[in-house]
Amino acid sequence: MIQADEEALLPAYVRRIPTGGYRSLNPLTKLTLAAVAAIVAFGVRGWTGPAVVLVVVVSSALVAGVLRRMAPFALATLPLVASILLVNTFLYPNAHDVIAVFGPLAPTWTGATAALQATLRVVAFGLSAALFALTTPIDDLLGELERRHVGRRGSFVVGSALGAIPRTVDRAREVVDAQRSRGMDTEGRLWRRFRGLVPLIAPVLFGALAEVEERTMALEARAFTAPGRRTILRELPDSGWQRAVRWLLLVGSIAAVAVSLAGAVKLP
Amino acid sequence: MTALGSTAAGSTPAGSTHAGSTAAAPSIELDTVSFAYPDGTRALSNVALRIEPGESVAIVGQNGSGKSTLVRHLNGLLRPTTGRVLLDGRDVRSTHVARLAGLVGLAFQNPDRQLFAGRVSAEVAFGPRNLGVRGPALEERVRAALEEVGLAAEASTNPYDLGYSRRKLLALASVLAMRTPVLVLDEPTTGQDARGVGLVRDVVSRAAGDGRTVIAISHDMRFVAESFRRVVVMREGRVVLEGPPEAVFGEAAWPELRAAYLEPPLPAVAGARLGLGATPTEAALVAALVAGN
Repeated sequence: MIQADEEALLPAYVRRIPTGGYRSLNPLTKLTLAAVAAIVAFGVRGWTGPAVVLVVVVSSALVAGVLRRMAPFALATLPLVASILLVNTFLYPNAHDVIAVFGPLAPTWTGATAALQATLRVVAFGLSAALFALTTPIDDLLGELERRHVGRRGSFVVGSALGAIPRTVDRAREVVDAQRSRGMDTEGRLWRRFRGLVPLIAPVLFGALAEVEERTMALEARAFTAPGRRTILRELPDSGWQRAVRWLLLVGSIAAVAVSLAGAVKLP
Repeated sequence: MTALGSTAAGSTPAGSTHAGSTAAAPSIELDTVSFAYPDGTRALSNVALRIEPGESVAIVGQNGSGKSTLVRHLNGLLRPTTGRVLLDGRDVRSTHVARLAGLVGLAFQNPDRQLFAGRVSAEVAFGPRNLGVRGPALEERVRAALEEVGLAAEASTNPYDLGYSRRKLLALASVLAMRTPVLVLDEPTTGQDARGVGLVRDVVSRAAGDGRTVIAISHDMRFVAESFRRVVVMREGRVVLEGPPEAVFGEAAWPELRAAYLEPPLPAVAGARLGLGATPTEAALVAALVAGN
């Protein structure tokens, strides 16, 4: 049996098709789920939208076995969540139900409620994106998009954008190591760390730009823009019920948002 | 691990003396160092290695054998999972990298992971400036380092206007200007033409001549055989062979070298066949070959 780490080294077209309740879904179905989660989390008023998304995402993550790996993604939303909480709680316009007064600051119940709702929306969306990223190999998504005649250039743009994230993280780590080796203090005071930003950012940025140029030329050299259809080496399973679910989810989520905005149904 | 022959600790190849205010080199000891990356990859296993002050040591091995991981322990970029790294007998575990940078200068393999300044001279000044060097002393260091790698005429050029091999020499100059007593070079000859390799060879020779410890990772066996007094062979995170080049590249060690996916340099192979030893000079080889005809 091939071990998981060995399998990761294999080319995409010989890797096993993912199995399991959630992972085995077609990448397009998982992409639709992530898009619907965003629509519902931000489009449906009140607590209901984000709460439903959160429950569905956490349940799916449990089924897919990635719940613990989603923790860093949740942590990544912290800066945004903190600013939402502070701004809304203390500066919510036209709110007069003051909780307490701290000098010039007067947090309000209305502001705090809005802040918590917005937080729930951000976290729900962040976790749904994390679930998608953790359960869908980029190659599978790109292959699926190409199979559906989404242009190669479009697939390349999506793939490059997604693939650039881990590469940039690796590059940034090495840049930090190289500059620390030349005596740059990244462990000292805030001002010293701030001063060190240029030596850190410039090589990452220049490197990324150079890489884009090199990758483009390498693709051209391998007939990326050659006309004609390509052979798909890795056909991922899809089914009639998944197609139906995708359309149902999209139409249903848009309808839910419309109903919510129109105020036709009173949701908590 | 197999230790071959005797290593002349502290002895250095002949080289011109380079004027510089380098502190005395410390002894370096890796005391049964093991290291695993956060993803569980075990990169070093019980590495025990001692490098005396002023030694010139080449570390060789196939890709992924742990060479770069090992040298990143020397300036504290990586901390051992178990074991200790000692500089002059002192554990460096709790010392900041920024402080160790004054002792151990590490030139990375890829120059583009460090170049950021708008001018070559500013790039070279970055390291010594971080070490507190200012004014005329800084200018002198920058000038000397650029001269050493043949880039003196490019002081005002933008680093990204230089070709790859010269950017690599610039990265080397930026570490040379720090005048650290220990100089660590990660694949310094990769991407260099004959002139570049010659410059790097001169840098190694000069640093060793100044009494600095020079440690280099390399896949260029000829460069290793000609420029270093001691060779350390790594395989799968372990030191499997070490000794002077004439022993490590000697015929008896070839099976162990090949097990580490390394080939002895051509002069060593030819030298063995012609009875000239593992590190014959070019002149001796040519003379023997001509005589054979």
